Formats: sequence, C-alpha cells, structure tokens
Amino acid sequence: MTRALLAGVVGVVLLVTGLAGCGIPGSTGVEVERRVSSAEAGTSSGRSQEPPTRAASGSDAEEFVRNFLAAAAGEPDRAYYRVKQFIAPEDRSELQEKQGSEVALTVVRLTEAPVITPDVESTKVTIAVQQIGVLRTNGTLAPPVATETKYQFGLRSAATGGQGNVEDAGLFVTAPPNVLLLSHVALQEYYEPASVYFWSSDRNRLVPDQRYLPLTVPDERQVTEVVRWLINGPSDWLRPAVSGLPDRTEMINNATGGDGRWEVNLTMPGDDERRLDQFATQLAWSLPELDGELELKVQNQSRTVVNLREQRLKHPLYPLIGNPQRYCVYDGAVHPLAFAGEPGGTVPVAPEANRNVVSAGFSRAAGGVLAALVVAGADGRQRLTVGTGTDPVTAFRSSSWYAAIGRPVWLRSADTGRPYGLVVADRRLHRFGDDATLTPVTLNVTGQVTAVAAALDGTRIAMIVGGALYVAAVTVDGGGVTLGPARRLATSLTGLSAVDWAGEDSLVLAGSADRPGIHQVSVDGAREFEVRGDVGAKVTHLSAFPVNPVVQQPSGAVMYEANGVAYRSPAERIKREQVLEVTPPPAGVRPGNPTAPFFLY
Amino acid sequence: MVTSPTPHADPAVSRRRHAGRELCRAVVGRSARLVAGLHQTWRRSLQVRVVTITLVASSLLVGGFAYVIANKITDILLTNAVTDTRLRITSGADYAAKQVYLFSQPQEAQLQDTIEGTVNYLAGGDPQQTSGVVVAITADNYTDIIETRSSPVLDVRPLISRELRASVADGNVAWQIRTGRLTGERAKYLVYGSPVPTRFGQVELYYFVPLSRQDATAADARATVVATGVALVLLLGLLAALVTRLVVTPVRVAARTAQRLSAGLLDQRMVVNGEDDLALLAASFNQMATNLQRQILRLEEMSRLQRRFTSDVSHELRTPLTTVRMAADLIFAERDDFDPAVARSAELLQAELDRFEELLTDLLEISRFDAGFAMLDAEPTDLVPVVHRVADRLAGLAERVGVAIELDVPATSVIAEVDPRRVERVLRNLVGNAVEHGEGKPVRITLGVDDTAVAVTVRDHGVGLKPGEEKLVFNRFWRADPSRARQTGGTGLGLSISLEDARLHGGWLEAWGAPGQGAQFRLTLPARAGDRLTTSPLRLVPADAALPFGGPRAGGLLAIGPGPGGALAVGPAGAGEKAEARS
Repeated sequence: MTRALLAGVVGVVLLVTGLAGCGIPGSTGVEVERRVSSAEAGTSSGRSQEPPTRAASGSDAEEFVRNFLAAAAGEPDRAYYRVKQFIAPEDRSELQEKQGSEVALTVVRLTEAPVITPDVESTKVTIAVQQIGVLRTNGTLAPPVATETKYQFGLRSAATGGQGNVEDAGLFVTAPPNVLLLSHVALQEYYEPASVYFWSSDRNRLVPDQRYLPLTVPDERQVTEVVRWLINGPSDWLRPAVSGLPDRTEMINNATGGDGRWEVNLTMPGDDERRLDQFATQLAWSLPELDGELELKVQNQSRTVVNLREQRLKHPLYPLIGNPQRYCVYDGAVHPLAFAGEPGGTVPVAPEANRNVVSAGFSRAAGGVLAALVVAGADGRQRLTVGTGTDPVTAFRSSSWYAAIGRPVWLRSADTGRPYGLVVADRRLHRFGDDATLTPVTLNVTGQVTAVAAALDGTRIAMIVGGALYVAAVTVDGGGVTLGPARRLATSLTGLSAVDWAGEDSLVLAGSADRPGIHQVSVDGAREFEVRGDVGAKVTHLSAFPVNPVVQQPSGAVMYEANGVAYRSPAERIKREQVLEVTPPPAGVRPGNPTAPFFLY
Repeated sequence: MVTSPTPHADPAVSRRRHAGRELCRAVVGRSARLVAGLHQTWRRSLQVRVVTITLVASSLLVGGFAYVIANKITDILLTNAVTDTRLRITSGADYAAKQVYLFSQPQEAQLQDTIEGTVNYLAGGDPQQTSGVVVAITADNYTDIIETRSSPVLDVRPLISRELRASVADGNVAWQIRTGRLTGERAKYLVYGSPVPTRFGQVELYYFVPLSRQDATAADARATVVATGVALVLLLGLLAALVTRLVVTPVRVAARTAQRLSAGLLDQRMVVNGEDDLALLAASFNQMATNLQRQILRLEEMSRLQRRFTSDVSHELRTPLTTVRMAADLIFAERDDFDPAVARSAELLQAELDRFEELLTDLLEISRFDAGFAMLDAEPTDLVPVVHRVADRLAGLAERVGVAIELDVPATSVIAEVDPRRVERVLRNLVGNAVEHGEGKPVRITLGVDDTAVAVTVRDHGVGLKPGEEKLVFNRFWRADPSRARQTGGTGLGLSISLEDARLHGGWLEAWGAPGQGAQFRLTLPARAGDRLTTSPLRLVPADAALPFGGPRAGGLLAIGPGPGGALAVGPAGAGEKAEARS
C-alpha cells in the first residue's frame, strides 16, 4: 500500500510540476539563428568634400579668414558645430544656434579683400560684403535678410599662455558675427548647383528651381535630398506660378537603392496615375545623372516603376523644334543671319509688315510663328505690331503709339490659343496679346523698367527695374498675365541695361563693372562670371539662346548690340555680309549695320 | 520603555502550551487512527485497491499524455512566433540596411532621423494596432554617437540581455525569451536581434514581440488538457469502481454463502443472474454446495446406518446370548458332574461368555456415544469413596497378579459435579489397565483437587509406553503388542469409552509413559459441570520420571528447552506428550 501511495503522490507531483513547467518559459538562453556576413566598412563615394578645418590654415590669417567663411559649408545640421570650431571657446556662446530648418547660411560676396589689421592683443578683420542671399536647409538661396555691408571680428592665436607651437596651434575667431557666414566662393566650391523641376500651375510645363547640394552629401543620398526638395515645394518667388506636390505628401524614410534601381516610398494623399507619372517626370528631370529605374511606392504599395532615361525622352522639358535661327534688323527690316555651320532661315513675316522695324521678337508656337515688331513711326514714336499664324505671318495688328518700346518677348505657353508677350513701353512693363493691345502689368517693385526677358519655360521672367535685376514668376491665365513677387538679384554690375536668359538657371546681363561688360548671373545671383568684360559701350540689345537639355546650344549663343554694332559672343562683330536677303545698297550709299540681333526658337 | 521578561512561565502560556500539546497529540492520534483505518480499508477492500491502483496508473498515463500534448502546443505556438518574427526581422533588417547604407559616418546628421524613421516604419506606426511589437535599433559600437531608438518610445535596454547583445554584436541573428516590463505590466517577450550592416560598422535591430497571446493560448490549452485529463481519470476511477463492484459483489455474496455453508446451513444458495462468468461462478458454487450437501447427507446416513447396525447387532446378539448364558450357567453349575474335560470346556465357555458379554456392553456403550445418546447425569459427588470403591473392587485382581494398590487421597472429601457412574467406570478402567500392565510392581492412585478442577492419576511401573503411544492407547481395539496374550479379559474398548466419558464431562484424559519407566494416566474434571478447564491440580508426568534431558534439580524449577524432534519440552506437561483430549 505504501508503495502504491508513494507512486500516486509522485505521479500527482510530476503531473502538476510537469504541466506547470510546459508553458512558455519566462526566460531562455540565447538561440543563434544564423550568422550575417559581417558589415563591410564601405568607402564613401568620392564626393565628400568637407571645408577645411580650423587648424588647416596654421597661423596664416588670410587663409584662416577664407576658411572661416567656408566653415559653414556642408550639411546644415552640423554647420554651427563646424563654425564654432573656428571661434574661440570663450566667444562661442555669442553665436546663437538655430535648430532644424531655421538654420540659414548668410551668403555674401566679398567686395574687397579682407582687411586684416594686426594688433597687440588680437588681430582685427574687416570684410566688406555684398549680401547675396540666405542659403536655407532646403538648398534654396532666399533673398538676403541682413543688410550689413561689412562684418568685423577678431583673431587670436589658439596657443594660450605660451603653450605649444604658435604656428601649429592656429587661430581663433573672437567676437564673431552672430550669423553663419558663407562666402560666395565657398558656395561654389563646396556646393553643387542642381535644378529641380516643378510643374507650372497649369501642369503643362516643368519649371526649374535652383538648389544647392552640399558636396559632402554622398551620391546615395542624392535621390533622398531631391525628393525632399520636391516635397518641400518651390522657392518662394516661384511659388505663385508653380504647383507643388499635394499637401501632406511625405517621404517615408529615405529613398534607397543604387546600381540602376531606386526606390522612393511616399505618403501622397489624393494620388492618381497621372499625378504619379508627373511626379516621376519631375524626378526624372531633377535627377539628370541617373539613368536606371525608379520605383515609386505610395504607402509601401508599389505604384509605378519608371525608367528615368525613358521618362526624360518621353517628356521633353521644352517643346523646341529645330535649331534656333538668328535674325537681325537691317535697314528697318528683319533679316536672317547666316553663320558658318548654321542653317540660314527666312523671314517669317510678310514683307509688307517688315518695314521700319526697330526691334523684333519671334517665337515658334505650335503650328506657326508669333511675331512682334516694334515699328517706328514718322514722328519717331514707336508702336508694336503683332501677328500670329503660319510662316510667313501676314496679318498684323498695331498698338497705339509710345515714345519708346523695348524688345518684345513672347511667353512660351502651352496654351496656343491666346499667346501673350511682355514688352517695356515708356519705361513700364506691359503685356500684349495677339490683338496688340498693351496693358500695363503691376509690379511689386517700383522703378523704371528698362528690360524684360522670358525664360524657356514661359513662367519665369527677368527684368531690370530701377537699375536692379529682378526675377519673377508669371502666371498666364484667361484674364491676362499676373506677376508674382519679384525677387531682386545681387550682382556686381551697375548701370544694368539689358538682360536675357542664358540657361535654365542663369541670365546674361549687360551693365558696367568698371567698364561696360556682359556677365552671366545665376538665377539667384549667387554665381556670377564675366562673359565679356570690355564691350566698350553700353549694351543696348542683348539676346541669348538659353542652354537647355533639349536643343544643343550653338556657339555664340549670346548676341548683343552696343554702340549700334551687333556682336556675337564673345566679341565677334556681325557683319553686313552675314545678313541674308539683302539687296546690295546702291554704290555710294554707306551700308547700314545689322542691329538688334535676336533668336527665333 | 523596556519590559523585562517575566522570570516565571506565565500560567496562561503554560496552559496554552499544554493545550497545544494536547491538540498536537489529538491530531497525531486522530491521524494515526485515520492511517490505521485507511490501512485496514486498503487490506480489506478489493474495490478500494483496484480503484486506487486504477487512479494512480491512469493519472500517470494521462499526466504523461497531457504533458506531451501541452508541451507540443506550447512548442508550436513558440515556433510560430519565432518564425513570424524571423520573417519580419529579416525584411526589417534588409530595409534598415538599405536605409542606413546611405550613411558612411555615424556622425552624419540625418542618420539619427533615419534610424528613428526606420523603427517607426518597421513598427508600423500606431502602437495600438501593432499588437505591442516594439522595434528598436541600437548601436552598441557607437553608443555615444547614435542613440537607441525604439518605436513606441520605451526603454528597451533592460530587456536585452548581455548575452544576446554580445551574440548580435558578434554578427548573429539570435533570439531569446525574456520577462520584463515594457508597456505597463510584466510580460514575456520574444526578443529577436539582427545585426544591420552599414558602411561604418554595424547597428543592431531588435524586435520585442509580446508573447502574452501565445501564453494565454498555451494556458488555455493546458487548462483544457488538465480538465480533460482529470475528467478522464475520474471517469476511469468510476469505471473501475463500477466494474469491481460488479465482480466484488457476487464474490462477497459467495463468501457469505460459503460462510453460512460452513456454519452448517447447507441449503444456502447464491442467486444466479444472467449467463456471464459470475453467473457461471454462482452456478458452479451452487452445484458444489449441492454436491457437498448430498455427499454430507449420504455420509451422515452411512454413518448413522453403521452405528445403527452396530447397535442393532449388539441388541440382536444380546437376546440369543442371554439364552446361551442361561444354558451355559446351567452347564457350568453342573460341571462337577461332567467328565473333567467337559467340565474344563464348561469353564472356558463360561469365561468366554463373560468376555463376550462385556464386549457387547462396551460396544453398546460406544455406539451410544457415537449416536450422541450419551447423557451426563452430573451430581455433586465425593470422589474419595469412589476411589476407595474402585480400589476395593480391583483388590482381588491385584492380589491375584501380585500388585499392591496404593492410595494417595486427601483426608477430606473431594466434591465435584460429576457423573459418579462414569467416573467410577473410568477409574476402574485405568486401575484395571495399571494392574494388568503393572508387572507386579505397585500401582499408585492419587487424587488431587484445586479451585476449579479435580484430578486422579494412576501410576504404574510396568513396561511403559513408547513415544507416540500416548495417543494410540485411546484408539479402539488398540494393542501395544498384538502378539501378547491377553491375561485379563479386556475388550480393547475401555480407554476409548473412558476418553468419551471424560469428554462428556468436559474434562481431560491424558497418558504419559516411557519405556521401562511405566506409565501414568490422568483424569482431570472441572469441579463444576460445564466449566472450562485451564489447568490440572496434578502433574501428568510423574515426579520420579527421568526426563530426557536429565530433569530439573530436586525441588527446583523446570527448565524449558528443545525437546526431541524439534518439539518444545516444557515440564511437567510436555507439549509433545500431552494427549489430545480437549473437546
């Protein structure tokens, strides 16, 4: 009995403990599933170009100042950190840090070399600057906020109390300015300009928007940055004329990929196939260096896979047909110009209208030509005659008379029904349509308008108002032409006289530095270089065929007129022999000069 | 304030201690009784045994099965969770690797944002809808640069054990179950870690999957299994009880019936129900009982017929014998007138007729005992005159064979409730036998008495009895030496009848003898009729007898030791020498 009882007790105990023990354990040992190939310390892809550190310049004050003005370059998150490395520890608190998207770099152009005045205690540095703009975290260069024209700060040796090598210890900035300064040289050196494209308000054209990508951003993150830019919307001055992505569009984490395939994951409310395709086109043009496939996911669902190269071929940026043709005004009539290697054209205007012409602006539109001619009357007053139709245009309408009318420009709109153009008449900006009625256009800046130029996309214009250069966005709607807020561009030129678009994001600008010259200026004014420094006289006409990815630019894409003589860039004089369809002048009569050259495209 | 301990035990405490001891004792006693009761029940009840064994065996079996099943269910649940998480963490690690691959320096500003975005993405956003799964990314190699991020934001570090951390840091995909507190209450978590390769080294991705659902399911399954198991065990126990009851009840009935049969109620039978094995048992039992009853009745009948025959023969012989006797008496009376040879024949005839008559009388007496017709006619009797009378009556015979009869009787009268006729017959038989086998040596008759019994011993010093003959002497017609001529006219039934007489009194008749030392017979009778004898006032073995091992010293106590043949010899009444005369 005892044995049976014992067995029973043991059984019950086993049962209870066993069943209690066969639940999910509270803690187990570590179970190794498999081994993952160990991480390889990959190399960063080349472009990493950090601005020099404080110690790089040694005790060379000039180089140190140059480096200090480049210190903020790079990714904005650590800009304050980098700049503060240059600042003496005791003065670092004077630079008040901003966070996140408020970090902005004040981009300045040094108008003179820095003035470095050595002193007993510390060296004094004065830099004279021109405010160019504010580089924001989204890569745009916004109009300048600060108005300072000079900054002052001190330098001291980093070697304190005689410790260490004075040469090696380098310098420190004392009493720093309370902004992150970035010289325009550093902007060119440590940033890569890039264009991202937004759809115009009518969603027919892509409008480029200028951005700056720090060179420290590796290639792999380029897609991510571009998508972020697109999501964050266009620059302020473009905003009235372009449409961004739908509100509350967000990118889910980073865009990933490489080796010809990328993946972008978005939350996009109200997306449809057309919108996605447009977004893909935007991306394809905004990432011109990438040729592979791009997968677009919305809320983790794969929606479309596009080949970036094919997408670019399928959706060209601009509806340009053929090469641009050069024309000029010769003896009061528009004549084509012929240069070696370029096909000569014919005048797309009926000869009856082609008389007493001062200047002209042509534009190709679907199925025809838009022609606007400034015609001088007998009393020296001028009026605008406008004609549209198939080549040659015969029907023209005329405006009323004005004292002076500048070169008319056509806005390239997808809406072929009602073409619009802009013209400066009597120092005011007017719009005109095919009925040749000039209607003043309101500007948000005051001043006399001297020149206007329209970009290839037909949405952006550049103009010279009150001697300063402005860009603005234009909206063409049923009622007419509306200008967005004009954004002033800083330039080193003064006495501006003429402007035209030299590329998607650059302008050619005539004015005078010391002498009259022609400069090319980026659309935000940050980059500026000389096209021709010595024109010799004030440039009165300036016309360019803008660089674009669709049609290759011919050589000498800038033509101008100075002192009544037309030139082809850089300094080739346009001769009478190059003017076609000209009857040779009777002997003894001094032949006229070709003037007011322009392009038809 | 300090209370000093009381120097003397508080009476209340002592009372309490006492009461406690009482209680303890009571409990111990009660439990001991309970154990004893259980033990008795266990021994007595086949049903209890079978049910207990069934319960224990089925408990073990069902418990084993339950363990296996519950274990299997838990295993499956756990394996599912692990597989699920493995798939999730594999894709999660791929995703995280792609995301982090964009960064070549741990210091890069957007890395932290990317890690946060990645864990949020992997956790699926709303923690309410992700069944409590927590995703975290740690960077053990860059703890001061990269912060640990988790979604939802919780302190997950305590849940990652050092071993797991080391294993994952070593480049292993590994998991562990840990109990800890992440969101509110403590729960079990499956902690799954995978390294995420980056261009600057490695970060670690962890998934914390709460196992509460699996735990609850396992507990449910376990409860179900246990409930089923318990129910099954109870059912088996019930079944065993029922089946045993089915078997045990008829067995008990059979036992009871057998008991009644053995008690003489030969007409007791079992009830036969159905045609099963138990019915067969009952039928066989009944058959056996019937056969036994028939056999017993037949034997009784035969025995009765035999006794009747003996009695009838004795009676039938008596009548012609009477006639023959009368004729023989006549011839014997006239023998002097006959030829001496004829006269001798007449004397022989007379003597043999006497023996014949005696034999018949004894046979009748024996048959009366056998038939159970012997009746005790007990009355208070003084045994001293009886002894004297017997001695006187046999004095002639003793004188003839030269044997002196010595009497050792108390001076006072010895009163006992006996049948004087039968006692006298017994004594006559014993003394006659002693005189006959006395070989000329004196025969001593001793009468002893105590509170409960009276005893008479008859001692002779003849050839004695061989070992084993103490019992045989009481057999009917037994002779120590069949070839020896009978000097006296003993019938061979005297001692048998004496034994029956002693039994009728509820007394003992025993013999002792040893070769060459003579023999002694003892008759012990209760002083009051119907009393039960326990001792005898006289010794069976005479004091002058030489004991096999030398005997006790004179006047000393008897030694108890091993006797011949392994028997225990205890004087004066050696167990092996005591005649079986108790009724």
